[in-house]
Amino acid sequence: MNTPADIRGLSIRPAPRWKIFGQLALIAVGILLLATNIKLHWLTDFIIFFILVLSFDLLYGYMGHLSFGHMLYYGAGAYVTGLFLVNVGKNPIAALFAGLAVAAILSAVLGLIVMRTHGASFALINMAFNEIGFFIIRSPLAKFTRGDDGLSCSSAKLFGIIDLSDDVSAFLFVGVMLLLVFAFLQVLTTSPFGILVRSIKENEKRVAFFGYDTFRSKWIVFVVSSTLAALAGSIFTLVRGFLSPQVISPFGNVEVIFAVLIGGAGNLYGALIGGAIFMLIKNFLPVMIPELSKVVGVKLPQWEMWLGIILLIIVFAMRKGVVGVIRSQWHYRLRAARSAP
Amino acid sequence: MNALITTQKLTKRFNGLTAVNRVDFGVHEGQTSGIIGPNGSGKTTLFNLLSGYFPPSDGAITFQGRDITRIPPHDRVKLGVGRTFQLVSVFTSLTAWENLVLTNVRFQRAEIAPPRFFFRTAQRAEILDDCAHALDWVGLTDKASANVAELSYGDKRMLEIAVVLSLKPRLLLLDEPLAGLSDHEIAQVVALIQRIKTERTVVIIEHKISKIVDLVERLVVMNEGRLICEGAPEDVLRDPQVRECYWGKEDQVAANL
Ligand SMILES: Nc1ncnc2c1ncn2[C@@H]1O[C@H](COP(=O)(O)OP(=O)(O)O)[C@@H](O)[C@H]1O
Ligand SMILES: [Mg+2]
Repeated sequence: MNTPADIRGLSIRPAPRWKIFGQLALIAVGILLLATNIKLHWLTDFIIFFILVLSFDLLYGYMGHLSFGHMLYYGAGAYVTGLFLVNVGKNPIAALFAGLAVAAILSAVLGLIVMRTHGASFALINMAFNEIGFFIIRSPLAKFTRGDDGLSCSSAKLFGIIDLSDDVSAFLFVGVMLLLVFAFLQVLTTSPFGILVRSIKENEKRVAFFGYDTFRSKWIVFVVSSTLAALAGSIFTLVRGFLSPQVISPFGNVEVIFAVLIGGAGNLYGALIGGAIFMLIKNFLPVMIPELSKVVGVKLPQWEMWLGIILLIIVFAMRKGVVGVIRSQWHYRLRAARSAP
Repeated sequence: MNALITTQKLTKRFNGLTAVNRVDFGVHEGQTSGIIGPNGSGKTTLFNLLSGYFPPSDGAITFQGRDITRIPPHDRVKLGVGRTFQLVSVFTSLTAWENLVLTNVRFQRAEIAPPRFFFRTAQRAEILDDCAHALDWVGLTDKASANVAELSYGDKRMLEIAVVLSLKPRLLLLDEPLAGLSDHEIAQVVALIQRIKTERTVVIIEHKISKIVDLVERLVVMNEGRLICEGAPEDVLRDPQVRECYWGKEDQVAANL
């Protein structure tokens, strides 16, 4: 039965697991390249954003569920970690896990409700829960969270030696976290479960006739995606030591959606590339535009306008994002090379 | 012989239209049946009820002596009800082998043993091997890594059958498996069904009666949501009620034969 000949006939190679280390090395090199040009303090923010975008890509890119309330879990992770540091103890690992646990439980419960909805209702019901969370942090819990004044929450040294308020340590810490999250998602999305998730995106109703309980699978994806968002939030708290309700504002979600669309939804590299392009636009255009305006002698519009134009280009000309374009170019070259005499 | 599946006064109404009307349908284990009837007579709706696509308005369904009227489709698959769709239903955003990974029996079981299902690559040798066998059965081995969107309609139909077969169904419901295929492809699918029916209980909905007369042991005729006649194919096709009440004109009978 299990003759290797059968497999050879398939023209698919069994995937060796060590490949993932090559991919992680590639990402590490990419990040270090960015580090040569961007201040580490900023780059740390970039990487936290990458983790958030990756978590969103699992839910939206892979499973096709567009949420407008993802920041609820980012914010929950951030605030639970912060409140833990202030009220319970200074251990960063314990504070991180507290943030993850609360967000996991919250998404597990809310997932039972939101995962019964589809399309616009799914997006909006998530946004509604996010608005409620935003309100709770600002008003009823203001005694603990200090509301709009913000919360200072420093942590002790990681493992007793690593000071996360130091830029280099913080950068290395978030960098390692990013690689761990990427590896986890890479394994998850190439497993049979990953294929199941992609088939749910295409036609949820038909998946049931393949013998799977789609609700259960969707709920699992929601909890995993939300908990990873919370991880990004918790990390933010640990390295910044200061929180404002901004971190749980539903408005932040738009940036995440932009990043996924720019890079190409449903592709982990797309999430990273889109995240990087978005952060570069957001952080450098505001600085460059006044300078450019001086050079050309005309007052150029604000950076948001340019972001809008880039998105329009992507929506109309590059439906599958930057990664989609790279891929089709690659296939085109490959085919041309094969058909050449 | 044992009844594998039976329905009791099964009824489905869509706002005023009764698509399936008090149908008592049954299939014996090992039997190959054909369902025929004009367009809109409720054949697909009957399959949708049997496979759990939607619940009936009335009546009940019994599978192997067990009431399955209200259980969801994925549980019916586990009990052994497999189906294909009138319009081929494979996942076009996946490759051929990825479609098969999902229905691979080992992973049907592995859903209960999560680590394998969640954390091992789908490109494991043993999974590829299972997919290779399934593809070999329908003659698609060389198209394993093709995107399904690029396959011909006939290949998609073959793939869909390979997918449903790897669920190892006791009861296989095929909804117009020959529709939209070329003559050559029809011959292939008919040959495939010939092989399948030696191992499984099969029910085929088909428009072109001539294509399945030799395949089935029993024909069931539906009209306006009701079963109007059933029996051996020769008898059913000779039945005056079938010939006159249902087709009306003799030339149409000829056209369909
Ligand atoms: N989901 C649905 N909603 C409303 N009407 C439907 C639905 N499915 C089928 N019908 C109607 O039920 C009748 C039977 O359809 P169907 O079972 O598809 O017939 P057949 O497969 O025999 O051609 C048709 O009149 C059809 O329009
Ligand atoms: Mg039909």
